Amino acid sequence: MTVRRSILALVALVVFSVAATACDNGSDSKRSDASTTTTTTVAVAPVVDCGNPVASFAPLDPMPAPGNMPAGSYMAEIQKRGRLIAGVSADTLLFGYRDPLSGQLEGFDIDLVRQVAQAIFGDPNRVDYKVVTYAQRIPSLLDGSVDVIANVMTINCERWQQISFSSQYLDAGKRILVRTDSPVTDISQLNGKRVCAASGSTSIDNLKNYPGVVVVPVDATSDCMVLFQQGTVDSVTADDTVLAGFVAQDPYAKIVGPPLTSEPYGLGVAKTHPEFVGFVNGVLADLRADGTWKQMYSRWLKPSGAVPDPPVAVYGRNQ
Amino acid sequence: MTTVTPPAASTPPTSPAPTTPRTPSPPTLLSPRSRARELLTGAFSGTPGRMRLLGAIAITVCLLFGVASFAAAARLHTDVENARANAAQLVRVQTIRTNLVTADANATNAFLVGGLEPASSRAAYTNGIATTAKTLAEAAAAQSDEAAAHERVNRVVATYTGLIESARANNRQGFPVGAAYLRQASRVVRDEALPTLERLVRVEQERVDDATAGAESNQIVLAVMLILTVIALSVAQLYLYSKTRRILNPSLVAATGIVVVVGLVALATMAWSRGQIDNAIDGPYRRTVALATARIGAFDAKSAEALTLIARGSGAPYEERFQTVSKEAKAALAADADDRATASALARYLIEHGKVRAADDGGTYDAAVALATGDGAANQAFGRFEVVSGRALATQAQDLADDLGRAATPLLPMAWLLLVAGIAAAVLAWRGMSQRLAEYR
Repeated sequence: MTVRRSILALVALVVFSVAATACDNGSDSKRSDASTTTTTTVAVAPVVDCGNPVASFAPLDPMPAPGNMPAGSYMAEIQKRGRLIAGVSADTLLFGYRDPLSGQLEGFDIDLVRQVAQAIFGDPNRVDYKVVTYAQRIPSLLDGSVDVIANVMTINCERWQQISFSSQYLDAGKRILVRTDSPVTDISQLNGKRVCAASGSTSIDNLKNYPGVVVVPVDATSDCMVLFQQGTVDSVTADDTVLAGFVAQDPYAKIVGPPLTSEPYGLGVAKTHPEFVGFVNGVLADLRADGTWKQMYSRWLKPSGAVPDPPVAVYGRNQ
Repeated sequence: MTTVTPPAASTPPTSPAPTTPRTPSPPTLLSPRSRARELLTGAFSGTPGRMRLLGAIAITVCLLFGVASFAAAARLHTDVENARANAAQLVRVQTIRTNLVTADANATNAFLVGGLEPASSRAAYTNGIATTAKTLAEAAAAQSDEAAAHERVNRVVATYTGLIESARANNRQGFPVGAAYLRQASRVVRDEALPTLERLVRVEQERVDDATAGAESNQIVLAVMLILTVIALSVAQLYLYSKTRRILNPSLVAATGIVVVVGLVALATMAWSRGQIDNAIDGPYRRTVALATARIGAFDAKSAEALTLIARGSGAPYEERFQTVSKEAKAALAADADDRATASALARYLIEHGKVRAADDGGTYDAAVALATGDGAANQAFGRFEVVSGRALATQAQDLADDLGRAATPLLPMAWLLLVAGIAAAVLAWRGMSQRLAEYR
């Protein structure tokens, strides 16, 4: 069901192109390996079988009132501490980025974190942001330095082995970015060209399926954009969501080609706190139901045009 | 005066002796070699001959004294001038390094503030780049054998300013890619310009060491020449005394006097110059190096502080860099007991930095940023260090140039005086000997 919906959403994205919404770039799963063929077979057989990867734990019912977290739960711990600690990106425009004008972190992922803080404290500002690279996302959950990861993170079975995910909050897919005057319309035309991707991302893994391209790895995806603008690389590959942020910063860049993968985004939580996953799922369920998700979507990802329905949450995973 | 016979009597027996066995059949045809030898033996045999010989030796030694001591004093002068030029070049290279690191720290800090960068930050950055360009041009003019290094630094500065402008342009439009440009700019300076400048610093330090290390040998040359000349002139006088029974030959006495007085004055001057050089090296030079090292470390630390805050939670490597470079800065200042003001300004900033870290680690990020920028305590404390250390550095660099300049000033006139003294002594020696020789005719 979800997969079918994702595909539809992705096909729609191809048509609407630039204002793109979906994508992920940070995952290191092998999930994308099989996804190279066409848009119709985007779903990939995971290396590790965990059932439906986007299936999460059921939301808490009833949801505790803000400022009144149930004793013994992880939420109570956070409430006692007084701040939610969230691992986010600071350079992914539209999702998590430091607004150069205000100096504040903003974006879709940041708003999600604020919603979680609102649900815990009744105050969306009680968040400590920690900027994490893609490669630091899982380790910082494992060592307990953050409560939640909201950083364009793809849900997949491999990662389920180490951490838990909330229900899916967005669909994304990998695409490529080229200059506006480029004749390239598909990644297959990039043979012999230099293509930039962030180290430790699913994007760079995905490039292994295209042995003809010259891979240029960098630390952060925004470094790709510098190289792209300097003409050092011919193309950048990342989630379409991230690339949309690039296009918004550079009128001489365009996103081309069909989505190469499907990347469902989820919030990451440590495996030891299933009740917190259920709580977050409750928050997300409210956002879907009361229209907040659509507001966030139109604010960050689709300033004009139709706002799609949020991805349908799938539950039923056993704790 | 009276006796003309003794030399004539003493010479004939010796001079014909060698000629007879050489010319068995035709006595008229002497080989040129034999004739030269005959002339020479004739010239230097007997009392007038010995007088001539001694006179020639005394004259030669006086001339040698003039030339060698001239060379020694001139070389010392050149060494001091070289040391001064290299020390000035060292200060220039350190200025370039400091300004690049400063510009980078200012750019990074301006970015941290967000929004429009403060005009003061921008002015500090522009000033840093302008000083760098100016100093680079001066450095290139002063030291042509490092042209490749200067050209390289120049190129990096051009690239760096380009990247900073890209970062600013993006920043002004609210594009977060500006941060990526800033990172790249920082990387370019650190990876490409600073190592080259560090090498230049080492080269110039070695040159200063080399130029000041050889100073002693020049004094030894002068002392040895002085002793030899006095011995030669004394021997000549003693011989004259034994032959003529005259206690003093005024010309030779005058020659000796000139050599001794000028030689001793020159020795004293050189010793004084060396004292000045040693003072300059132990004092202003060492302190200049220490202050420059401390400033570079501190500016690097300030930029690491900003980068730690920009990285927001994943800035541990930058904080490590802060600890490393600030320790270097502290160590550089610790050696200088005379300059407590700079050391305490640095210590004060390090305390304020601790508060920035405490605020950030304690979850009050905005408070940490406020402390580290604008009128925040840490930023103000750093500003004070910048002013205090900059003033101290300028003073020390000036003292260094002055001390070495003072050390060099008397050496060149001294060198000429030595040469003139040597020639004068030679002329006097010749006069003194020729007077006595004339009495033999």
